Amino acid sequence: MQNQENVDADGKVESVVSIQTSEYDSWGNLGDDDIMLQKSAVFVQEAEKVPFVGDKEPLSSLEAEYKSGSPILLEKIKVLSGQYAAIRRTRGDGNCFFRSFMFSYLEHILESQDSTEVDRIKTNVENCRKTLRSLGYTEFTFEDFFALFLEQLESALQGNETSISHDELVIRSRDQSISDYVVMFFRFVTSGEIQKRSEFFEPFIMGLTNGTVDQFCKSAVEPMGEESDHVHIIALSDALGVPIRVLYLDRSSCDSGGLSVNHHDFVPASEVSSDSTGSEIKIPFITLLYRPGHYDILYPK
Amino acid sequence: MQASRARLFKEYKEVQREKVADPDIQLVCDDSNIFKWTALIKGPSETPFEGGVFQLAFSVPEQYPLQPPQVRFLTKIFHPNVHFKTGEICLDILKNAWSPAWTLQSVCRAIIALMAHPEPDSPLNCDSGNLLRSGDVRGYQSMAKMYTRLAAMPKKG
Repeated sequence: MQNQENVDADGKVESVVSIQTSEYDSWGNLGDDDIMLQKSAVFVQEAEKVPFVGDKEPLSSLEAEYKSGSPILLEKIKVLSGQYAAIRRTRGDGNCFFRSFMFSYLEHILESQDSTEVDRIKTNVENCRKTLRSLGYTEFTFEDFFALFLEQLESALQGNETSISHDELVIRSRDQSISDYVVMFFRFVTSGEIQKRSEFFEPFIMGLTNGTVDQFCKSAVEPMGEESDHVHIIALSDALGVPIRVLYLDRSSCDSGGLSVNHHDFVPASEVSSDSTGSEIKIPFITLLYRPGHYDILYPK
Repeated sequence: MQASRARLFKEYKEVQREKVADPDIQLVCDDSNIFKWTALIKGPSETPFEGGVFQLAFSVPEQYPLQPPQVRFLTKIFHPNVHFKTGEICLDILKNAWSPAWTLQSVCRAIIALMAHPEPDSPLNCDSGNLLRSGDVRGYQSMAKMYTRLAAMPKKG
């Protein structure tokens, strides 16, 4: 009878605590944990190949990748190289959109030293904080991620004690304890925006899953490693008020005439409405290259 | 490491505050190690676990809260999503659906919800899952109730 060892609920506490470590080890034999271990092992392997954020490479490196590949893709890369000079790859760990956005945005601030933009986005960040609060999120679950992003933002501006160089930005983007926290910050912001405007997002989400908006945020936005879809991009761009251009490198083609590379500009809802009053829409300073399942950063000529 | 410690300390303070608010959960941090916690949770009412008190062990990784805590039942429980021998729990938020929006406290709430709403299609305890899948609710409930009495209730003198 196996009951005997369990009868005494009080007596067993101590004995279990003492064998805890060895029991955790033996979990390795179990399916789920096995999978988790394997998954993290794969990530480690992947990490050795591609850092979270790679070095800037000439666009010809993209061409080399498809040397013996589809002629449509090669043709499109040729078109791309007319307008774009370089690519910066990100790791394909499901966080590539957020990671690309992070680097691209901070690099823009570092290079432009646009303090007006920094002030503007800070206002949006505070609004995102209010959104999460009003949705019932516990402050301490997200505040560390917000603080870390604001820290990076501050240090991208030169002239204060914490200012960083471009090299340091690259190093930080590859440091998991910073990079993943900023990615998580974006995930919170994205989730908050989707839930705040759930009526707007619901039809898009219905097309992607069978679940509710809330379930979508819990399972496809907030967990690390969950890939981003249009819904994520729209929500992040809207919440932070940052336009994003995405170029689509896929095998689609029109039958007649020269090939072109499709792009789509995600323009924050706030800017679209102000456009009707006559001001022109800026060209997004963030340009990403989308290949089915993955985002990298592109640099215009 | 530093980040996880700071976060756990915030959770510790929150737990002290919430103690009264949630009488079904008693979450306790190890005196000497903030990465080890135990919890006592009350079996939800109108389930075979009603009247039982179940102990959970938390082992928090250094990457917390980016990575989920490891949680298992220390008290024997007959439930499709809990391993009968090791107490391992099959719950999405402890695996791929984890996010830092969860806390140790809300994980306890999720486990209580899982006790009330088993998912027999992803069983860790096949015997228990099969009873439910074959429609033998009564069989499942009586087994679950028996183990609740044997393992999760104070021994009567």
